[in-house]
Amino acid sequence: MSLDATTIEVIKGALIYAAEEMGVALRKSAYSPNIKERMDHSCALFDHQQRLVAQAEHIPVHLGSMALAVREGLRLYEGTLGAGDMLLLNDPYISGTHLPDLTLIAPVFHEGRLIGYAANKAHHTDVGGRAPGSIAGDASELYQEGLIIPPVKFVRGGEVDSEIAALIRSNVRTPDVQMGDLRAQIAANNTGIRRLRELIEEHGVETVQAAMEAVMDYSERRMRAEIAAMPDGVYEAEDWMEDTGTGDEPVKIKVRVTIDGEEIGFDYSGTAPQVDGPVNAPLGVTLAGVFYTLISITDPTIPVNDGCFRPISLHVPEGCMMNPRRPAPVAGGNVETSQRNVDTLLRALAEAVPEKVPAASQGTMNNISIGGVMEDGASWTFYETIAGGSGGRPDSDGVDGVHVHMTNTMNTPIEALEAYLPLRFESYRLRKDSGGPGRWRGGCGVERSWTLTSSKGILSILAERTRIPPWGLRGGSPGALGEYVLRRGDGSEIKLPSKCTVPLGRGDALIIRTPGGGGYGHPLNRPPGRVLEDVKDGLVSLEAAERDYGVVIDPLGLRVSLEATESLRKKLSTE
Amino acid sequence: MEGRRLFRVSVDVGGTFTDLVALREEDGVLINIKVPSVPRNPEWGVIDALNKFLEGRSPGSVGMVGHATTIATNALFGQIDLELPETAFITTKGFRDVIEIGRQRRAEVYNLFFQRPPMLVSRRHRYEVEERIDADGSVLASLNREDVVEALDDIKREGIDALAVGFLNSYRNTAHEDEVVGMIRERMPGVHCTASSRVSSEYREYERFSTAVVNAALIPIINTYLSKLALDMKELGVAAPLYVMQSNGGMAMAEVVSERPATIVESGPASGVIAAAWLGELMGRREVISFDMGGTTAKAGTVRGRIPEVVHEYEVAGKIHMGRLLKGSGYPVRFPFIDLAECSAGGGTIAWADDAGALNLGPVSAGADPGPACYSREGEEPTITDANLLLGRMNPVSLLGGGMPIYAHLAERAVSRLGDALGMDAAGTAASVVRIANSMMSKILRIVSVERGFDPRNFTLVAFGGAGPMHACPLAEELEIPEILVPPNPGMFSALGLLAADLFHDHSRALVRKVDEVDPVEVVVLFDEMEAEGRKTLLAEGVKLDSMLIKRQLDLRYLGQSYELTVDVHGVFDSDVLLQAVEAFHGKHREIYGYAAEDETVELVTVRLRAVGLSPKPSLEVRATVEGEPGAKEVRPAYFEGPDSWIETPIYDRETLGEGVVLGGPVIIEQYDATTVAYPGWEVEVGMYGNLLLRRRRQ
Repeated sequence: MSLDATTIEVIKGALIYAAEEMGVALRKSAYSPNIKERMDHSCALFDHQQRLVAQAEHIPVHLGSMALAVREGLRLYEGTLGAGDMLLLNDPYISGTHLPDLTLIAPVFHEGRLIGYAANKAHHTDVGGRAPGSIAGDASELYQEGLIIPPVKFVRGGEVDSEIAALIRSNVRTPDVQMGDLRAQIAANNTGIRRLRELIEEHGVETVQAAMEAVMDYSERRMRAEIAAMPDGVYEAEDWMEDTGTGDEPVKIKVRVTIDGEEIGFDYSGTAPQVDGPVNAPLGVTLAGVFYTLISITDPTIPVNDGCFRPISLHVPEGCMMNPRRPAPVAGGNVETSQRNVDTLLRALAEAVPEKVPAASQGTMNNISIGGVMEDGASWTFYETIAGGSGGRPDSDGVDGVHVHMTNTMNTPIEALEAYLPLRFESYRLRKDSGGPGRWRGGCGVERSWTLTSSKGILSILAERTRIPPWGLRGGSPGALGEYVLRRGDGSEIKLPSKCTVPLGRGDALIIRTPGGGGYGHPLNRPPGRVLEDVKDGLVSLEAAERDYGVVIDPLGLRVSLEATESLRKKLSTE
Repeated sequence: MEGRRLFRVSVDVGGTFTDLVALREEDGVLINIKVPSVPRNPEWGVIDALNKFLEGRSPGSVGMVGHATTIATNALFGQIDLELPETAFITTKGFRDVIEIGRQRRAEVYNLFFQRPPMLVSRRHRYEVEERIDADGSVLASLNREDVVEALDDIKREGIDALAVGFLNSYRNTAHEDEVVGMIRERMPGVHCTASSRVSSEYREYERFSTAVVNAALIPIINTYLSKLALDMKELGVAAPLYVMQSNGGMAMAEVVSERPATIVESGPASGVIAAAWLGELMGRREVISFDMGGTTAKAGTVRGRIPEVVHEYEVAGKIHMGRLLKGSGYPVRFPFIDLAECSAGGGTIAWADDAGALNLGPVSAGADPGPACYSREGEEPTITDANLLLGRMNPVSLLGGGMPIYAHLAERAVSRLGDALGMDAAGTAASVVRIANSMMSKILRIVSVERGFDPRNFTLVAFGGAGPMHACPLAEELEIPEILVPPNPGMFSALGLLAADLFHDHSRALVRKVDEVDPVEVVVLFDEMEAEGRKTLLAEGVKLDSMLIKRQLDLRYLGQSYELTVDVHGVFDSDVLLQAVEAFHGKHREIYGYAAEDETVELVTVRLRAVGLSPKPSLEVRATVEGEPGAKEVRPAYFEGPDSWIETPIYDRETLGEGVVLGGPVIIEQYDATTVAYPGWEVEVGMYGNLLLRRRRQ
């Protein structure tokens, strides 16, 4: 059936809005700050052929993996789902992301006919396993990472299956929170179902289905045009995970990007085999990185749906770190390997579209989980990720202290944490001299530190870039490495590795210093005036101004000594 | 007549026009004046309008002046000549970048070139001092006064006179912030310092600090502006007090606002919703959706039981995308804001075709200058106004009662060009533009109704702004809103809101405690404290005791949730009232989110109080009935979505329609500042005070 462009436009808007409204419903009624404040969730609508037609409120790591979760999750249930049923799953080898992401899928019927699916994915604060928060830095098998839920009918005919609920409750540390969040996930799907039905009542099934088809074709056309505008060629790059959490060796990610007309291919041959630490990335995570990168260097206003993905081909050898086989642990795939995946992809594409690619950003999410038992016996867990520097860009400095690439979750206010948890904060500030020097400086990393005020806690760190720094581009220098320092109550300090689980006692402090972004362009080309501004703002030290930028500043008057700068720069440029 | 206070005057400064509405108290007659705005010197527009009003009238006849202004917003958006001053911030040692890192997210996830909004305090002017208060309010480290002295010396050296102070956990204990403010008073007399705990006593440090910094940065600009305005008014001989609309929909005296300018950032949009609430009440409608479509945007808000919905926090100068604020794109201000959804669909919004053959609207607007193509002011791009013109909905010869010529062929040329890119004829393109605009606007109406759990079928749509009454019918159909109300002067309706607004002063205190551990006495103490503050301000504003009203509210949530719901409490606060509040919370939770968890622990987060100074409500002129049957001034073909598309439609002048007249749709009613379009299937009744009531005809 042929449709006029306006009707398509109107239905497109309504579909995106319906997905957005699902997100509003989820966020509003969720319990955990993870969803409410940090917005670590995604909502989407699918057509009856399980193709993504609209997605909203997405965090990048769910991009693409949502589609995978729905397709794989429904495989066993084809034709057996009725109205009011919802499937729950978190098995990474089906859902495409790590165990804390719980996916809930609901079929949508209209007059007995299947017309599509509403689905959402939300990161839960705990799904059991060896570490509070279920993101252990040193797991060697999936089974240690938490409860594995294959696709099950969690909701039957509108009612939650109490036996499945009981099973989940018994396997997680904060069952009330998980149940509250699951209830919110159900509310979100109900919103999607309602809106999709209303749309069909207004326009008719045929019109809506034809419009869905057209909306996907539209995104495909726009994506193809964007790819066609990029120079054809083969572009390769590699980058490294500094270790695996259980082993000390760096692991390689390698990608080969082929741009050919309106199509683009990504080949991960040459990437390291899967490892027995938690840095393997399930296929959904790998896909998400590819989509994120492509959308970021093309046009973020293209509506995200099945159509955008059609011009893309992907080859990820099975059994490699970016497409592991069961039961490799994967908790860090979402939160760490996903960042390196983007670093690698951008490094390759920097050759193809240099005006669109910044230097490497902090390249980690700095996952911190801590939990323990309060003085009154109640158990507590807390999980957060911490901002760092973003990479310098072809026309501007990187941003200081911000979340980059595959995550965009909010921090939890210090006053909220101090009111509820046995933590007292000592600092939350930008790190001087952490931004990679360049014509355009990389963004500065962050220092965040706190002291444990209760008797016992278990700390889990899962991070990266404490040994291999974020790279600079076109002569820019790398950003500063991340650091994790444990300061014992007696004042002694221990440097912690980027992936570990350690017990803490009262008075122990954790000092987190996150990486800076890489610089873009040669630092000797940075106008001395800008270096002076950074010095005045305390982001660059006088020493670094001389050493890295060749800018000599008179410390008393805070003025650039032009002659001294000129001769120093001359000297440095010949070295 | 000399010396008698006859008029209440309001002046609403918009981006294009400054509107003045004066109400003669004795009979409710309204006088409307429109003059061009002067963006760099907004007070000139105000004085210009006042001058016009005073032609032939005594300055003594002005009893009060109400004012809505966009000056704070414009300053935060970095408008030329309104640059914010260099501002200093004093904070807890170790935490000077809290106001920069914010909530650590980026407003646009897929934009590798995103920028934070420019910092209001540069890093070198964030001063750390030693002090620390614990989460329970106890002092962990006392304030190091030497650190403060050192900071103040530097601030003086730098010549900065916009200052804010914010310490961690100051919502629990204000002592250290107060001490710093005292030291500033001593050492830098005449310099105002905003303490975070005084502008927002709630927890979450970033939002509180940001509120303080925004306030501090605005003080010099707003102070200067309001004093200049007061001086100019005095020169005109107008001695009446000046009130300014705040973002919460209440007025406050200019002197009060000068110290708390963060409260007036969304002054303009608030007055439209207040006007809608007042008109609804006047016409006996308590549940109202306000729909304001102007030159660049459309805005929607809801009024329930006569009370406009508010949010307790907002990001000022942020970016709006598809009706919603992009979180992280602006500066958080924690203060009640009338809750609005906004989209870029105004009369001047430009329609364009993208490379993949889709029709798009906005966000670019031709505004009033150059304006739509049909204005013939060098605007060549097709706008929503041009589309409406082609569809026969607007007068094809002139606007503003003949005061402004219209060039239909220019509209046609612009729309045809767009149609060529899309493979459609001009009329089809125009119809598409209108349909897409309507689908965008129906979304903002949904955001403020359905999304908040309200059923639009129970609401009246109050349509205003120059273009609102033209688009109201299809929107009401889409949302199944049964009735539309079009005020007498839709284009100047917001200014009328300033005459209807009460004085508001909002106060809040954080408690953050499980309900079963709350001692009611503690809450009573907080209420009393806030009430005393509120009454003091109202007294200073000249409000009489019997016109004061105190409203008390609690923010509650289920333990573990991080968002609260606000419920009203009435009567002397005790454990029974607290229980009732918890009941009301469960009910509201069910209404909005579809469920309540009655066996779970509820937490009391914030205690709120609003001190209201009731102002006399304007009563409008009851119009004389017009004799005889009204006659259509012409008939022209107009386009309506549906099977018949083009229909010969009668056109009426609004002035010729007396109370009680009923017309069947389709019908178009033209007036000075707006055009009302009633679709087929609707009928229009001229109601009391000249309001138009549009209803769907019973079938």
